[in-house]
Amino acid sequence: MKRIMSRSIISLVLALSFLAGLGLLCYRYIVDHDLWASQTYNQYLSSGKGLSEAGTIYDRNKTALAYSEGGQRLYHDDYNVRLGTLHAVGDSSYNIATALQTRYRAQLVGHSSIFGYGLPESLRSKGNMRLTLDADVCGKVYEAFGGYKGACFVYNYKTGDVLCMVSAPSYDPQNEPETIPEGAYLNNATSSTYSPGSIYKIVTAIALLESNPDAENLTFTCEGKKEFDGDDVTCLEEHGTLSLRDAFSYSCNIAFAEGATLAGADKMQKTSEKLGVTKSFNISGIKTAQGHFDVKNANGNELAWSGVGQYTDMVNPAQMAILCGAIANGGEAKLPTYIDNVYSGSTGRLMSADTAQRMQEFMRYTVSDHYGDTMFGGLTVGAKTGTAEVGEGKEPNAWMVGYSTDEDYPLAFAVVVEEGGYGFYSAGPIARLAMIESARSLGYEG
Amino acid sequence: MQFFADVAVVGLRILLAVYAVFIVYQCFGSMRRQKRQEAPLVMLYNKTIREKIPVLCWENSIGRSKGSDIVISDPTVSRNHCVLLRRKDGWFVSDSDSKSGTKVNGRPVASRHRLSLDDEIQIGSTTLCLRRADEFRGEVPHHWFFSKGSSKPSVSAPLLLILVNLFHLFMAVEVCIAYHQFCLQAFEVWLAMVLFSWLLYTFSRGVFLRKNFELETLALFLTGTGALLLVEQNIMDSWIQIIAAMVGAVGYMLMLLFIANPDRIVKWRMAVMIIALGFLAINLIFGVVEFGAANRIYIGGVSLQPSEIVKIAYIFVGASALDHLQTKRNLLEFIIFSALCVGALALMGDFGTALIFFVTFLVISIIRSGDYKTVILAVAGAAFAVMLILQFKPYIADRFAIWGHALEDPYDAGYQQSGVLTYISSGGLFGTGVGNGILRYYGASETDLVFGIVSEEMGLIIALAIALVIFGLVIYSRAISTRSRSTFYSISACCAAAMMLTQTALNIFGSTDILPLTGVTLPFVSAGGSSMISCWGLLAFIKAADERTYSKAILNGKE
Repeated sequence: MKRIMSRSIISLVLALSFLAGLGLLCYRYIVDHDLWASQTYNQYLSSGKGLSEAGTIYDRNKTALAYSEGGQRLYHDDYNVRLGTLHAVGDSSYNIATALQTRYRAQLVGHSSIFGYGLPESLRSKGNMRLTLDADVCGKVYEAFGGYKGACFVYNYKTGDVLCMVSAPSYDPQNEPETIPEGAYLNNATSSTYSPGSIYKIVTAIALLESNPDAENLTFTCEGKKEFDGDDVTCLEEHGTLSLRDAFSYSCNIAFAEGATLAGADKMQKTSEKLGVTKSFNISGIKTAQGHFDVKNANGNELAWSGVGQYTDMVNPAQMAILCGAIANGGEAKLPTYIDNVYSGSTGRLMSADTAQRMQEFMRYTVSDHYGDTMFGGLTVGAKTGTAEVGEGKEPNAWMVGYSTDEDYPLAFAVVVEEGGYGFYSAGPIARLAMIESARSLGYEG
Repeated sequence: MQFFADVAVVGLRILLAVYAVFIVYQCFGSMRRQKRQEAPLVMLYNKTIREKIPVLCWENSIGRSKGSDIVISDPTVSRNHCVLLRRKDGWFVSDSDSKSGTKVNGRPVASRHRLSLDDEIQIGSTTLCLRRADEFRGEVPHHWFFSKGSSKPSVSAPLLLILVNLFHLFMAVEVCIAYHQFCLQAFEVWLAMVLFSWLLYTFSRGVFLRKNFELETLALFLTGTGALLLVEQNIMDSWIQIIAAMVGAVGYMLMLLFIANPDRIVKWRMAVMIIALGFLAINLIFGVVEFGAANRIYIGGVSLQPSEIVKIAYIFVGASALDHLQTKRNLLEFIIFSALCVGALALMGDFGTALIFFVTFLVISIIRSGDYKTVILAVAGAAFAVMLILQFKPYIADRFAIWGHALEDPYDAGYQQSGVLTYISSGGLFGTGVGNGILRYYGASETDLVFGIVSEEMGLIIALAIALVIFGLVIYSRAISTRSRSTFYSISACCAAAMMLTQTALNIFGSTDILPLTGVTLPFVSAGGSSMISCWGLLAFIKAADERTYSKAILNGKE
């Protein structure tokens, strides 16, 4: 009997494992119950019981972007605002996976960890949410895209607040059209990657500055094209002899192809990774799309092209804005968030303060001496444009990325216009509008 | 007005959760407070060294080994020398193939020999004398599970049963609230449960003179909860549940009668094994594939799962009385039987039940033999068999490929598990009300996903309380079997509880994506007649382990 009883401890071992399993279940319930509850198929959220009873989503000025009234989900009055904020707010049928109404529908409807959806409507407290976005800015910027596809992302690199996050194409959540434009479900600002073109010269310049202490005194000679490892790299103009700063400002391909070669594949790769090109950032719970930079097996010509943002390079708009924010902020910046009162971390140090300082000089010089300061009203802006060839007979993608260093308007931005043509002419006006309007939202009177 | 009605509805749900916890707590509390035989049964007087040895159990091994119940430090005594056991007609001694043999009053005995008071048992050079227990004055070890002192339960058995009936009545009321009308069916089912529970109580108390009724109360609590959940989903299923529970309860009482004599079991072992294998063979030949497993047969329109009934046979075959264990330590016969059972279930594609049998096999073999080598060998063998199966039928692995990330594929492979998680979370701690659930409309939800249904409609607290009932049964089985009338009962109770626990674990953790989903039932709660009958049958083993179950005259004549 004694032996049997001592051996039967095995049944207690089983029982304790069972208890541990229940513990794990409870733990997962506590940690993940919102995730579980907000699944798309959850019928407590769909027709009748869903968003028609949900709370309000406000912008930074307490303007309601989406609210429920009389058993219906209603959106902002202005058509352009509705389309400009669609990818942040979402629609009533949860088509946009990264939007708030999809991800946080449980809270919006009033899911509680104690009662689940078990409370009758009269006892349920609806969850309201406030965004850091400015509805008017988003609306105007969306309108400025004028039918082009692309994305615009503007955020305060000191607080992390995103003021403008627009993705085109979009559609009207109030009157969902029968045919949704292709790609409209994707938030291009956070979830798409594009070939960067010349804006990648920021990364190449940093790699060069970090690998060569004398980089600023280097001179480059541009004759319109130059052979790298058996094949040509071409430039739009014959720039002649020019310094690194001028090469950056005039966006000389030859100089930066040489720059990438000088820095070497290894340094280019490491810098790209360190600056976050290949990383995914967490923006209020959305993981940004990872960019791409891989020259591990590239030949000399491919490495040269990678330095001017062609080859297989890909970047994400939000990530480029973060990089610009870090340059403006001395090497590290706040991570963006577009939900109010959500803690956003820091990028960590992406580059030394010294490198950031030199990059500021380059980017500022590009605006002050090249584009002219009138472009951004009175804001002190540093920027870089890009025109990324995408091939297949398409117009190139137009880019403009940069930042302002004004004390009260610490904004970083990235604008991409698909098939927009030349960066400055196509992305420029949108960047200008987005920056001035965002600064006005922060109190700028220019 | 609406506001107060809403408050009342939510209040009822909270009340129900607290109530369920109270019922479970009181049932186990009452089990803990039961009066146990504290004094020794008899006493052995070691004449050689003049030592009084209390005999605490009905079956005691005597030998030099430290693991013996009565340890004799005499080099001439074998490690396992003999067994002293009690049956209804007195005390016996039985030699366990010892080297020097066992003598009673100078005459060698081989098989069981009946003892009288003051008989002298000679083992090696030691002489033990059977004396009355009241000559012993000393401390007897106490089991932690049972509370000392007070023996009166705070809630009497009938009151506990009324509490359970009331709980089910509240469930019926919730059904009416959910459908905004008076649901007669719910009250009919409730009434049937009430009649059933009191009929069972009357039999247990009146005919078999058993005072304690906690085990049955817990089973009735779970059974009624399962039946009332099914009311507005499929009323036929509710009735099947109750009828099957009644059949199960009759089987439960017959089982208790059948195993009343632990020695009868030896004669029946082979027959039961053959019948069980016959059942599985019939299933293999006539099995009908449903939900990916061919584990049912149809007889005259009634669907049966033979493997459920084989569970009872399996425990029966696995357990054994102590004197047989001591002389027949070979597990080979049992291993072959187990391999055939598990193999047949795997062939049917019922991997969940196969796994339940395998875990039970491990528990039985460890408890019986303590032979870890054999057990490790069995595990290795099983692992090898699984690898072979996966080698030749790799698609089987696909069935379990979604395990651990069901939410990544909520519309296809992870459909059931993600549904369970979503609706558990939607129900919160107190549920959305019986009948209000969404999960009940999922395929096979009333069997495989029933934990999710309970959690969604009645809340996580009640769902966990139900899980804890099964957990408690394991703890209780082990505690109660320290004083069983035979090791047969001890082994079978621990193993039956372990079997139910394994099944519960596979059901709960399978549907919540903690373990792979194998599609087994939640004991007493899931819809399914065969499963219900089998659960009541397994409960009989736990009941039999309680010393008091057979203490009254009706079964054994006068004590």
